[in-house]
Formats: sequence, C-alpha cells, structure tokens
Amino acid sequence: MENKNVLKKLRKKILYISLIGKDGNIQSCFSSLEIIWTIYSFFLSVGRTEHFSEGRNRFVLSKGQSNLAVMVVLAEKGVIEERELEKFCKFDSRISMQADRTKFSGIVETSAGSLGHGFPMAVGMAWAKKIKSEKGKIFCLAGDGEMNEGTMWEAAIFASSEKLNNLVLIVDDNSSISRLIDIGSLKDKFIAFGFIVSEVNGHDVEALKEVLELNFDKPHVVLAKTIRGWGSKTLIEDRSWFHRYPKEDEIELLCREVDDFEKDYARMCKKIYFK
Amino acid sequence: MRRIMQECVRRYISNNKNSALLLADIGAWPFHDLLEKYPSRAKNIGIFEAGMVSLAAGLSISGIVPTVYGITPFIVQRALEQLKLDFVYQKLEGNFITTGASYDFSTLGYSHYCPEDVLTLKTLPELEIVTPGTPQEFETLWNSCHNNGRATYFRMTDYCNSMNVNCEFGKASILKKGENCTVIAVAETLDKVWNACKNEDVTILYYSTVSPFDYGTLSDNCESGKILLCSPFYVGSLVADIVKSLESRRIIIRECGVPNEVLRNYGTKDEKDKYCGITVSNIKEMLESLI
Repeated sequence: MENKNVLKKLRKKILYISLIGKDGNIQSCFSSLEIIWTIYSFFLSVGRTEHFSEGRNRFVLSKGQSNLAVMVVLAEKGVIEERELEKFCKFDSRISMQADRTKFSGIVETSAGSLGHGFPMAVGMAWAKKIKSEKGKIFCLAGDGEMNEGTMWEAAIFASSEKLNNLVLIVDDNSSISRLIDIGSLKDKFIAFGFIVSEVNGHDVEALKEVLELNFDKPHVVLAKTIRGWGSKTLIEDRSWFHRYPKEDEIELLCREVDDFEKDYARMCKKIYFK
Repeated sequence: MRRIMQECVRRYISNNKNSALLLADIGAWPFHDLLEKYPSRAKNIGIFEAGMVSLAAGLSISGIVPTVYGITPFIVQRALEQLKLDFVYQKLEGNFITTGASYDFSTLGYSHYCPEDVLTLKTLPELEIVTPGTPQEFETLWNSCHNNGRATYFRMTDYCNSMNVNCEFGKASILKKGENCTVIAVAETLDKVWNACKNEDVTILYYSTVSPFDYGTLSDNCESGKILLCSPFYVGSLVADIVKSLESRRIIIRECGVPNEVLRNYGTKDEKDKYCGITVSNIKEMLESLI
C-alpha cells in the first residue's frame, strides 16, 4: 500500500481508537504521523530480528501526546496486536495517552508525559553510544511548544559541546508556541546552539526520509513544518480538538474528511504553510 | 565522608566501563584524575541539574549506570520531576550523591539548605534513600546499593558522628535495649542521642536507611509505645513510617528535628542545631517529659 493510503488508514484508526478509549490528542497525533511513520519505516528495526542489537537506531518520543500515532504505527508494523489497540486507555491496558516503557521492553525506549524530558534523555542515549563506541543514531521527536522548556536547551548545549553527531532531533513545528508568544526563529536559535539545521515539510514522507538520512559532524535538528490536525478539515480548523475524542455521530464525517483530504483542503494548506 | 565517597566512586568508575560520573561543578577537583583518565564517561558538565538527571536517565537506559553528584537542594528539588519520571517511573538504575545535608552550608542561606530532602524524596516510591552518619557507613551503604539495579539517593553530611555503627542497608541497628521509651536516631543526630540517652532505661535504634524503612525492627522494639524521634530533617519526615510500623497500637511520638519553617538565620552548623533544638540537653528534656 502506498504511504498515502497507509497514512489515511492510520489516521482513521487513530480516530476509532480514540472513540473506543474515550480520550485523545488527535490533532497532535495527526501532526506527527508522517514523521513517526518515516522514522519507523526507514530508520528503525522494530519488528525485525536484528532489532535488539546494541548498535540499532533508537527513537525517543519526547512529545508524548503523539503516543497513539506511535502505537498505530507499531500495530501496522506488526509489533503489537490490533486487539491491544482496542484496549486503549482501559484500566489494564499497556497503551494509553502516554507511553510507559516498562510495558514495552526494548520497543518503546522511553516513557513520556511531561514535556522537556525526552530530548535530554535522547542526548544521554546518544552520549552512551559514544561511550560504548556503538553504531546507530538516536532520533528524537519533540514539539515546538516543548522548546519552551529550559531542559531542552540545557540538553542542546551539552549535545553541541559533545558534538553528538549521532543525534537527530525532529521538531514537529505546528506553531503551538508561536501562537502564544513570539519565540522568534528556532532555526537561528539552534544554529547559535551549535546544531546543523534542516527545514522540511513535515507531512512529506519522501522529503523527511531524505533529510533524516543526512550525516554531519554535529547534532542535527530537523525543523519539520506541520499543521495540527493535518488530514482532517475539522481537526485543523477547530481548536477544541486539541484534547478530545470523537463521538459516535462525528466519526463518519471525520473519516470522510480523511479520505477526501487532498481534494478538500490540502492544496490550500500547502499554499498557506509550505511556501 | 567526602573522601570516602570519592574513593568509592573512583573505584567504581575505574572498575566498571559501563559506568559514568556526572559532576555539577561541585567538588570536582578531587576527581580530576578520574576526569582525565576516563574523559568520555567522567565529566564535570556544569550546573544544569534538571537536564543532567534526564541525561543520566538516557545513559541508564543504554546500560551505562550514572553517578550524579551535586548540592542537595539542586538535585532533590530542582530535578525532582526528573528523579520521579525519568528514574522511578522508568525503573532505572542510578546513584545520586549530595553534599550539604540539611544546612551544612550554614552561611549560604535558605537556597542551599535542604532539611526537606527526605520528606520530599519519600514521595517517590521505590527510590532508595540512605543517610549515613560516618564515612564507614557511607562505604557500607555504597557497597550495598550503588550497583543494585535501582535508583539510590546518598545523603552525605560534613558533620559526621564520632560513633560508627556497623550498619546494614535497609536495617535499623539496635544500639541499646531499655523499658521506658524507644529513641530513634537518624544520620548525624546519633552522637547527640547517644550522649543524651545512654544512661537511661531506653531502647536506642539507629536508622541509616530511611527508604525502604525498616518497620520490623521498630515494631519489635517498642514495648513502651513511647517514641522519641531525632532526625536532622524537617519534623514529620518519618512520622508516617513510625505510625505504619506500630499501626493498631497506642503510641506517643515526640520529635526532635528541624522545625518546618523558612530558615533565615546563618551562623554555624552548631548554632543552627541549637536553634532547631537538636542538642543533647533538649533531647534529654524531651525524653524526660516523655517518660
């Protein structure tokens, strides 16, 4: 199945699972989905026999609210069972709004929930690879809103000082922070902090793959421009969807929007956001 | 205690390639040889305790056991969420050694005091908290805990007891048996407790591990139901453990510790102890009124 169709399927799955679990950060999951799909499809060995090798690439989800997007990708890759997804947010489930690594040994590398933790841990993991002379990279996905946390920049200083060229930070930049404060240019900030900066359309799998394959002698940050709720007109336009789940009578419309997204909306979004 | 700590850490880092030392620009000089010999995994990385503890968690996830050393409030309080979520929640191994104790840096003011460390860290289930009173006790507890798969907090003090106890991790020591009261000494209060109570008909227990708390030893050694608790922490830090140890019994607890207030005075450690009532004479008075 083409990426485009798989991603539509996964978006609809996110909607259904949120309905079953009666909770969801769907806008955030939709914002991150192409990034997460690209990393799992092309850069991680999860689900393959060689996965538990020491020198593997590892992924840290720092913006924990996109956890359901990771879970549907893991299910698509056959790492977790579909029926587990249907227990989303249930009392005895392994899967909820945020990840608990103790329930996914070797598959989910870090727990998440409180922002500003994942990236510093990813820096520690990249440092550990250097200590052990291990191959592989650490890919970390953070949100642009998360870049307001001081620990992100504390970790950035250290990563730069150590020249951790095995570290790739992807910022899902859906303007979460710039709608609140004038954060200025993240690009300029990361350059000043000693990172190599790439900018990319965060909903373009091929473009993401290309930029994530790059190697440098410094830590690399990919500023992935995205739109909250990408994939559904309603989710993009209605801010109340940041933290809510669809009701029975909404799901059909939302799924139809996912199916018809390019036709209805994408051209306009591209014009506005991805000049 | 610092010297023994340095030796313990030096030995561990030197003998274990899957270990790392992270210094927050405090007490770094004595480690300079270690930093030079193992530059990739023994580093003085400056003062960013919150990020540093997360970074340490990243090492631990990857099989490198971190030892983090810093000033008490900056590890315990600034990085509390990191200890909670990155270490305890994720079940990771790590060693957190602090200097400063409750108010060892007596002239530096409230920012550098931390009589609330135990009370604060007690909110983190499964975190081990050890509070040695002498260098030898530090070494014993370090040897028991530093590589045991869990996160451990090592509270150091510069004001050690002269009385050394042959302690055991997770166990209270029975120093004396008596009838009228059970006196509990914790960490550096032991000398004062001993001097105040050694000639009284009381039981004296000494705790150098406060989490996990040894409920059994207290339960088995408190026939009188009267307890005098002496600790260098904010009052209340261990009361819940005492109540749990003796649940369903009628008990009377008196506590000699740091009053729960903002300490705005300076002076010496000794002056602060006097202000808080952590003195031989006050312990004696409290004991007399209790029995």
